Amino acid sequence: MQRATSYAVVTVLVLTALAAAESTRQEMHFKVGRRASVSIVNQYGGISVKPGPGKVVAITAVLYSSKVEVDQSKSRRRVTVFSHLLEGADTETGRVDYEVLVPADASVTLHSTTGPLRVEKLHGDIMVEGSTASVDVRDVSAGHIHIKTLNGPVTVTNVSDGLVEITSVGGDVALNAVNGSLVHVNSSSGKIHYDGDFGDGGDYSLTTHSGDIEAIAPAYASIEVVARSVQGMVEKDFPLQPEHTSFVPRAGSAFAGTMGEAASSVKLLSFSGKIHLKKR
Amino acid sequence: MTCEEFKRVLPELGSGHGIEQEEHLRSCCACSDLVADLNAISKEARFLKGSEDPSPWVWNSIEVALRQEGLIRQPQLQHLQTPAPMLGWRLRWLVPLAATLLIVFGALIYQRGTGQPQTAQQPSPPAGVVTANLQPTDVMGGEDLQLLKTVSERSPSMRATYEADLRSVNAYIRDAEQSAHSDPNDEVAQQYLRNAYEQKAMVYEMALDRSLP
Repeated sequence: MQRATSYAVVTVLVLTALAAAESTRQEMHFKVGRRASVSIVNQYGGISVKPGPGKVVAITAVLYSSKVEVDQSKSRRRVTVFSHLLEGADTETGRVDYEVLVPADASVTLHSTTGPLRVEKLHGDIMVEGSTASVDVRDVSAGHIHIKTLNGPVTVTNVSDGLVEITSVGGDVALNAVNGSLVHVNSSSGKIHYDGDFGDGGDYSLTTHSGDIEAIAPAYASIEVVARSVQGMVEKDFPLQPEHTSFVPRAGSAFAGTMGEAASSVKLLSFSGKIHLKKR
Repeated sequence: MTCEEFKRVLPELGSGHGIEQEEHLRSCCACSDLVADLNAISKEARFLKGSEDPSPWVWNSIEVALRQEGLIRQPQLQHLQTPAPMLGWRLRWLVPLAATLLIVFGALIYQRGTGQPQTAQQPSPPAGVVTANLQPTDVMGGEDLQLLKTVSERSPSMRATYEADLRSVNAYIRDAEQSAHSDPNDEVAQQYLRNAYEQKAMVYEMALDRSLP
């Protein structure tokens, strides 16, 4: 048994070493001005973007075979880097992982089929698209965050003063401490989880067809809330002040009302999923 | 003038309408909503046409597809660094157009369901159209099958993902349409419908635009 384990460990180490030996690193540096626009397009592999020092975009690309190349183009304020698949490339041989440092005020656009995609600590606009890629955006402010995935899960954490739009067919969406003037999530079968205070004066819309919605808010939240599920259960932990709605609220399948000064509008809509507005 | 007659002449109408059409629009909420939606879409489409250049992924995907078709060959020394501008201008309008057509298509299906009662012969739905009352959830229309074929040719491993997503989105559209039909004044039902079509537009956009190598 011990011998088998040793063989397995050695095999893994050898394979890892071989994989590392086959990969190549490519580094690129671009001087940019204020509010630069940086676009990374990668068919297979991850992209991680963080703020870096100065007005420089620094990109490190790790290529896993010779069947993929990295191309680049730059104009005055715009940097574009993309993986260029050569004939015969597949998900393994076409993979490139990018580590990107950008000025904190840069706007970034990321595409990857497989991901993962990660952006942190920026205050420019962020546009992320991935098919099955997981998306993680955190610690950003004052920008427009636009995320699209087919089945990739989406996590957005610690966003202030943002304009957040997320569309995912089947990926679960988790929003933690996210607030802004507009926060919209549109899912088909994914679950939606929100944990935050719904800010002050925002428009929050969390909609899914068959997924569940769980929204966790503190007792001091100031919201006007509508929750409705055509076929699923709807429940709340808060007492709400009733208000007029365009539909007839029915216990168990819909509710509407206000808390505090109703500063933000919150819509929790699922067609067949469960909805729960929880008290933190 | 009936809704049917109005819709028949709608494609020929320019920015202005005749007296007869104006009268119909004043008396028919469904048709006036339809015209308002089409105007809004047309306005947005113009905006999209003037937006940023498409992603380099578009050019890369086109290049890979052309190479697979044998229309271009492997570059000898250095491959194309930037997309050919002529190709870009020829194809860049396809993406917003595809999305726009999808939305118009959805709006028309919805309007057909919520318009005034029509006693004249109802034209049969175009071939391949999925309507809530005619087909079960997971039967896909001709456009969907064509999309899956394209996906299969480019990236077979992604076909299952797209197929599952299309089924999921079609189920959403079906439920949203039924909900909107049962209560056309329900804002929430209309939001379901908008969201469902937005989902479908996204699936098409990702499949056709850039997500596949």
